[in-house]
Amino acid sequence: VNDRNGTHASAELIGRYVSGDPAITAEAEWALEAHLEACSSCRARVSELTTDHAPDVAAMVTGAWEAMAPTLAESRPAPARRVRAWLMTWASPAMIPWIVSAVMVATLATLFGRMVAGPPNGDSVLFLLAPLVPVFGVAAAWSTGLDPMYELAVATPRAGLYLVLRRTLAVLVLVIPLMAVASLLVGTSPVLWLLPSLVCTLTALALGSVIGVEGAAMGIAGLWLLIFTPQVVIDGRPPVLLGEWTVPMWAGIGTAAAVVLVLRAAAFTRISHQHKTF
Amino acid sequence: VKRGRATIESADEAELVRLVARGDQAAFEALYRRTAPWLTIRLRRRCSDDQIVAEVLQETFVAVWRAAGSFAGASVNGSAVGWLWTIAARRLVDAFRRRARHAQPPPAAAEPATAPAAEEEALAAEVGGPLGAALDALAPELRQVLRAMVLDGLSVRETATLLGLPEGTVKTRARRARIMMREALS
Repeated sequence: VNDRNGTHASAELIGRYVSGDPAITAEAEWALEAHLEACSSCRARVSELTTDHAPDVAAMVTGAWEAMAPTLAESRPAPARRVRAWLMTWASPAMIPWIVSAVMVATLATLFGRMVAGPPNGDSVLFLLAPLVPVFGVAAAWSTGLDPMYELAVATPRAGLYLVLRRTLAVLVLVIPLMAVASLLVGTSPVLWLLPSLVCTLTALALGSVIGVEGAAMGIAGLWLLIFTPQVVIDGRPPVLLGEWTVPMWAGIGTAAAVVLVLRAAAFTRISHQHKTF
Repeated sequence: VKRGRATIESADEAELVRLVARGDQAAFEALYRRTAPWLTIRLRRRCSDDQIVAEVLQETFVAVWRAAGSFAGASVNGSAVGWLWTIAARRLVDAFRRRARHAQPPPAAAEPATAPAAEEEALAAEVGGPLGAALDALAPELRQVLRAMVLDGLSVRETATLLGLPEGTVKTRARRARIMMREALS
């Protein structure tokens, strides 16, 4: 009866099964039922034999269909949630409101740059904000206060640096094109703020492994604004540290942050005790 | 979404379920035509009340129509027919649970008739194997529990509802059945 051996149930046994013969031995019935679940040709035989051997079963099958058919058109099958389930492995639910706010920041910075002439000019405002948008995105991706599933995410086997970096990548993939479009609209090159932006993100993660990602993001953002706001608002020019000559300095900070992050990777498998909220 | 007749006829059950998930009524009809007789007969061997069987049959396929998306989305290699049976077995247990509130003994609680037949030996030779012989040697009430839990994939609680037994009895019988099977096979 086993179809792994290439054999099928005999027509006689199927016939007796279909007609409800109580005399089929337990072992034959068991083997036949297990076989029917795996073998479509024997199931087809069951359907064929039902009409002749078990008219009452055939009547039940027809009756159930007639009772059910009119209701089918009323309800559509629920759609598969494949896309949504896949998306959730890249982004935490808390990131959706954050993405909306990132779009607003980019739009405002652009509008500001287009409408306001004179200091503070648009270039500077965009320079000031561009590196901070991904930092806050990363905070939303791995935070005790914003993510309602934070504790569950940390407890999963996938938790750790891999998941943090995966979510960070999702943030960057969304934010960098967005800010690039904004800065092109304003008329400056995205290259100028790209490196500081990545380094700030990396530093926030490295610091986050010690004091929690939310706190680290607040700290980095505060430090950044403290250093550069006076230059932008008072002097009305792009911050000097964002010049093209500062590449080695940013690369140095970035490397140091990456080393810290790898050494402290285990911190992302533990629940952070910094229960701060924005 | 409409597929040609030929596509539906040549599709296997898993493909049909995927088509049903997209709202294809012809695929649903084909799935019903292929699996409803088998499902009805299998249910009838577990429940002697035809009214319940008809009810469960209908509920199962309504659930398949509504939830086909969850099968197509959740499993890549899972058997569509196994999935169908799981739904049906759960619905049967639910039906018994509803009946239990009306204080009727579950129809499956009746001991199965096991009259020895002349063809038994011929059949035994056909399906063969020490497992089959061990299964056959089991007491009917032990075999019933084993069938519900192993072949039908039900939990202890579901088996208890299906057979109208206390959960403790189901556990004891399952343990005894397993010990006897092991002894017979060693």
